[in-house]
Amino acid sequence: MVALISLVQRNNKVFRRDKTQVFFSLLSVIIVIVLYAVFLQKMQIDAIERITKATPELITMVNEWLVAGLLSMIAVSTTLGAYGIAVKDQESKAQADFLTAPLSRATIQLSYVLNAFIIGCIFSFIALIGCEIFIVATGGKLLSIGDFVQVLGILLLSVLLASVFNLFLSLFVSTQNAFSTLGTIVGTVLGFLCGVYVPLGALPGFAQNLIMYFPISHTTLLLRNAFMDSSIGDVFNGVPASYVEDYKINYGIVYDLHGKILSTSTSLIIIVCTIVILALASIILFKRKYK
Amino acid sequence: MTFAIKVENLSKQYGEHPAVKDISFTVEQGTLFAFLGENGAGKTTTIEILCTLVRKSSGKVTINGFTLDASNDNADIRKSIGVVFQQSLLDERLTVRENILHRGKTYGLSKTQLAENYQFVSTYLHLDDIENQKYGILSGGQKRRADIARALIHRPNILFLDEPTTGLDPQTRQFVWQTIKQLQHETNMTVFLTTHYMEEAAVAHQVIVLKQGKIVAQGTPDALKTKYAYDSMALVFHNPIEGIKWLEENTISYAERQGIYTIRLTSTLQALTFLKKAEPLIASFEVIKGSMDDVFLHIMAEERSRNGSLN
Repeated sequence: MVALISLVQRNNKVFRRDKTQVFFSLLSVIIVIVLYAVFLQKMQIDAIERITKATPELITMVNEWLVAGLLSMIAVSTTLGAYGIAVKDQESKAQADFLTAPLSRATIQLSYVLNAFIIGCIFSFIALIGCEIFIVATGGKLLSIGDFVQVLGILLLSVLLASVFNLFLSLFVSTQNAFSTLGTIVGTVLGFLCGVYVPLGALPGFAQNLIMYFPISHTTLLLRNAFMDSSIGDVFNGVPASYVEDYKINYGIVYDLHGKILSTSTSLIIIVCTIVILALASIILFKRKYK
Repeated sequence: MTFAIKVENLSKQYGEHPAVKDISFTVEQGTLFAFLGENGAGKTTTIEILCTLVRKSSGKVTINGFTLDASNDNADIRKSIGVVFQQSLLDERLTVRENILHRGKTYGLSKTQLAENYQFVSTYLHLDDIENQKYGILSGGQKRRADIARALIHRPNILFLDEPTTGLDPQTRQFVWQTIKQLQHETNMTVFLTTHYMEEAAVAHQVIVLKQGKIVAQGTPDALKTKYAYDSMALVFHNPIEGIKWLEENTISYAERQGIYTIRLTSTLQALTFLKKAEPLIASFEVIKGSMDDVFLHIMAEERSRNGSLN
């Protein structure tokens, strides 16, 4: 146990002190912010103005939409960045040095997973604080205690999912070159697959289905629900329910899969099942890799 | 006599390719043991097997009384050995102290024990001037000091070093080498190292020469020198024609290169006899002691001709 904690602490320091690594793991998030500032925010506000009049609440709601997508992406990109240490250790033979100590490969691997989880939690929490400051600064309200706890819970779940998802992916690569390619692919694809770079409704039907089947996008969905819950009511006060439903479907706040609206519990089940399946798959993959 | 390492009929195959072929040897407790060989001779593979990093294909290995691969993680062996790798493997962005302590904690030592051990390695390897610097900015020699300190943090009985001085400048090489010898001498630790510097092997208690995965010679440096190296004398004559005549009259075989005549001696003292006899003829001379270089070159040449006659 002492050994495991020491390894996790070491991984943590190695990650945090590598400023370029930290920057690149936040790159996809920076892209989201830029896209949002350039056109995503305006596009959305323009669209809603057609059904109801623009109010300060509307801007807050759209900002909350961004914040939810951003937080779900941070969980993935930072945990993936944290696995960079595992790949580097493997390539540089630093793992050989650990293996001359009384440590098993499984303990070493577990230390990378725990570190990824911790890094994901730290960055998500910092980002959450930053997002709340942003929302309040642009005229919005702080989350209520109940919503805040709910958001924390979803974030924890999404970091857990991201840790396992990226563990699974990282087990396929053994060089740093391959890993940086993986990072680029995940960073790019993720923004689309979570419906953050482009709203869900702007995509063709098959792409919409793909997103709805992509487990990580369900964390985005849950976060949007938690963040936008009260402001949606304010903005669409007096607007016909069918319009509101359309907006929610187009912007990925609810999923309409094959004509059926998915419930929150369905999303939770999808997330938890994915965590379990990927964790088992990773264990099998790990055992085969080091047979 | 207690053995720190006992290797019996060790073999390692990588697929079809045999890296180590049926080698056996013992290393006595508290000695300095050197593994010599060209690149690709199987030195690193052997050391990796002994350090529990690579699984042997067959054979029996006992280290500090524990049988290798008897348990899945070889924890008993790992606790009793320290390894210095060819490359520098500590974390660049961590300080020397952080590096050593983080890795030290993986041995299950108590806090006070770890602090005590750190004090020991720090004094021994003069870490006080570098312990708070990031490992990545250190010079090659400073890195080596940190590497050795890391390998010693749990006070192992055996220290393995895989080409510890390769790629270092002469001064650093000497420092590293002195530290290893001093350590071995003062703590009575067993040191097992691979090298391709012959002069380093010369101070070992026991030397094994490896070629293509097989042991081709072993013994103390003195024994190997007696067997494979000889002393010689280089002579320059006032008048080469008279010199050659004298050599031939006395039936002394010689080799000539650029006016220098080299003759083989049975001992360095024999030079005196020759010099007394031929003094008027000789313009200058040099007596050359047989070295480990000769041993290595002879063994390699001998093996080559043996293989040649087989083919």
